[in-house]
Amino acid sequence: MKEIVFAGFGGQGVLTGGLILAYMAAQKDLNATWVPSYGAEMRGGAAKCVVKFGESKDEMIGSPSMEEADIIFLMNKPSMTYLKDCKPNATVFVNSHAIEDTSAIPSTMKVIKINCVEKAMEVKNPKGANLIMCAAAIKECKLFDLDYAMDTMCKFFEDKGKGKFNEANRRAFQAGYDAV
Amino acid sequence: MAKELLKGNAAAGEAAVRAGADFFAGYPITPSTEILEYLSSRMGELGRTFIQAESEIAAVNMVLGASAAGARCITASSGTGISLKMEGYSYAESMKLPFVVVNVQRHGVGLGGLDSGQSDYFRETKGGGQGDYRRVVYAPSSIQEQVDMIYKSFDVAEKYRIGVTIFSEAVLGQMMEAVDMPPFKKREGELDWGIDGTGKKGIRNNKWTIFERVEMYHEIEEQYQEWENINVEDAEYVFVAAGLPARVCIDTVKKLREKGEKVGLIRLKTLWPYPVKAFKELGPNLKGLISVETNVQGQMVEDVALTCRKFKINAPIYCYAYGPGVPMVKEIVAKYEEVKSGKCEERF
Amino acid sequence: MAAIKTLPTGANKHTFCPGCGHGIVNRLIRECIEELGYQDNYCFALAVGCSCNLHSQKGDFFQAAHGRAGAAATGIKRTRPDMLVIAYQGDGDAGVIGLAETLNAAYRNENLSVIIINNTNFGMTGGQMSWTTMPGEVTTTSTAGRNCDYNGYPQHLPEMIANSFSHIAYSARGSVADVKHIMETKKMIKKALQNQIDKAGYSIVEVLSPCPTNWHLDPLKSCDRIENELYPEYPLGEFKTREDK
Repeated sequence: MKEIVFAGFGGQGVLTGGLILAYMAAQKDLNATWVPSYGAEMRGGAAKCVVKFGESKDEMIGSPSMEEADIIFLMNKPSMTYLKDCKPNATVFVNSHAIEDTSAIPSTMKVIKINCVEKAMEVKNPKGANLIMCAAAIKECKLFDLDYAMDTMCKFFEDKGKGKFNEANRRAFQAGYDAV
Repeated sequence: MAKELLKGNAAAGEAAVRAGADFFAGYPITPSTEILEYLSSRMGELGRTFIQAESEIAAVNMVLGASAAGARCITASSGTGISLKMEGYSYAESMKLPFVVVNVQRHGVGLGGLDSGQSDYFRETKGGGQGDYRRVVYAPSSIQEQVDMIYKSFDVAEKYRIGVTIFSEAVLGQMMEAVDMPPFKKREGELDWGIDGTGKKGIRNNKWTIFERVEMYHEIEEQYQEWENINVEDAEYVFVAAGLPARVCIDTVKKLREKGEKVGLIRLKTLWPYPVKAFKELGPNLKGLISVETNVQGQMVEDVALTCRKFKINAPIYCYAYGPGVPMVKEIVAKYEEVKSGKCEERF
Repeated sequence: MAAIKTLPTGANKHTFCPGCGHGIVNRLIRECIEELGYQDNYCFALAVGCSCNLHSQKGDFFQAAHGRAGAAATGIKRTRPDMLVIAYQGDGDAGVIGLAETLNAAYRNENLSVIIINNTNFGMTGGQMSWTTMPGEVTTTSTAGRNCDYNGYPQHLPEMIANSFSHIAYSARGSVADVKHIMETKKMIKKALQNQIDKAGYSIVEVLSPCPTNWHLDPLKSCDRIENELYPEYPLGEFKTREDK
């Protein structure tokens, strides 16, 4: 089972980023859960979601909450508080546009810094920072293969009536994939 | 077909639609509002009735009217909204009107908070409205289980002309999960009661006296208990939980078993009837039962104690009243260590 | 024209106090139902209060919780749109505890016929002050006479609804204090039912009705009281008709 946490501010696409990963798993008929931050957790504009999915079809998901994350996306500085609930060998994807100093991240974790904000501007998809981070994780942690992930992401947005952004989203996704 | 990734509340609405619900009336309240929102468009698409009522009280009374007229009815709410519906719970029983309520629980008294929790255990399982009556209470641990429970709840409600409560939690309503949706179905056969304008059937001539009704409750208690026991036969310590905490306990048991600890879990799927039969499977090594619940004082633990008395189980009973939210595996493990080392006070 | 000698369909012995107006209104409604050909296709949504004594009658009933007949009738009508649904309530039920449900049913322009008996008190519980109690009227909760500065002034529900919800079909006030007014009230009730049959929307008829028991007057003096005291406060007539739409 994979446990993935996406954390940052509201507006950074944190909830959608996690949702796309959960959707990719569900489309493969894997058990998957997505739990958004809720209630008091959301005060001050913080946003977080926890995604879990089985690695085979018969793998069930017990606790849907954050327990010991395998992968964490840190989109802003306050999110670093969630590092305490990550596996010692977790992979940490850092939005280096918001976090310059990563010395607080335990040395046992693998740290991948991506300036996803700058990259999103480069590919002319300023709202695509979350997709860049997703794509980087998909490659780095071998979650899904690129073609499947890219097509499924597009399907996700099409289902929401946002298919017209597919080209821009593909550019962001590719940029993230190529960043690692 | 791939599983659909659905929000708990939307899945609850769709499950009701698939189960043949004709009528929904409700009022917005966090964290159950998405059920109302989802059905506002979905019921219209299917030519069924949706009403955004002026109040929780009006909503439940609309549901009772529709139920009396033969519709399959559902409503949903949270916290104080369910408190206001208590009038309807009790009147429904007086007229033997079946209807389903999804209580997406928010934790706390009065206005309470928006946090998840199981603070409505007493109210949902012991009554809440005036008079003595019962409602069937299903407690889903996952969105799939919630879908399956709602799907069958209308049949149970109509068979016994009884209310059914779905004991959901804020996080279950707000989270998403991959689910398989069941096919569309309709009520099997015709109701032999109900208002049709002729005055020939109606709802006035209740089939049961209040005492016959009690016999019927006993029948439900005998036939409708649902639970899942995990590793209880040889267990020294057994967790008892429902809903999301139970789901976390599945992982907790797995983790502790890997460390060689003899632990088990009684996962309750119905809260009334309380699955007392689950306790018959407890083994001879039992040293303690630990009720895990997300309220502050421990409510369900009382039913654990009463069940133990029924079967003369003398093991001490502990309670992990976690408070609002959903406990983490490591927090339950820590509580277990406390119990095992004798540092936790017995509740019963 | 020959008088109707037989009881209309569904009418049965009633259990109201001697001299009460409920029995007359019940008969008027049932005559209208029969004349409109709906005797096998109607349902009452009953309130809590004296109006629930209609239970002794035949036909389909829904006994709503106190004040909730407007909501319950909505649920019934939306489920069976071709059935005649009549909310039958007292002034305390419809205008006090159930004011929200009554006004909101009118607000939605539910296709319902609402008949409200106004006898200026909570009759079933023994004559307490209602929002329709007259200024200075003695009840068990206004023993020195109703003080309107303290308790508010008499409520005029049909006028309130007619003035607030311009899209409704019908709003009127009748009386059963004498034969002439009884016949006029019957016409009002029939219009309220016809509107529903025609799917024209919400209709409300308030009926001023004697309550000899709690007024501590004999039946004839009760009728005199309606004529002398109530008519000036509660004018009779139609406040809104389909033609005004």
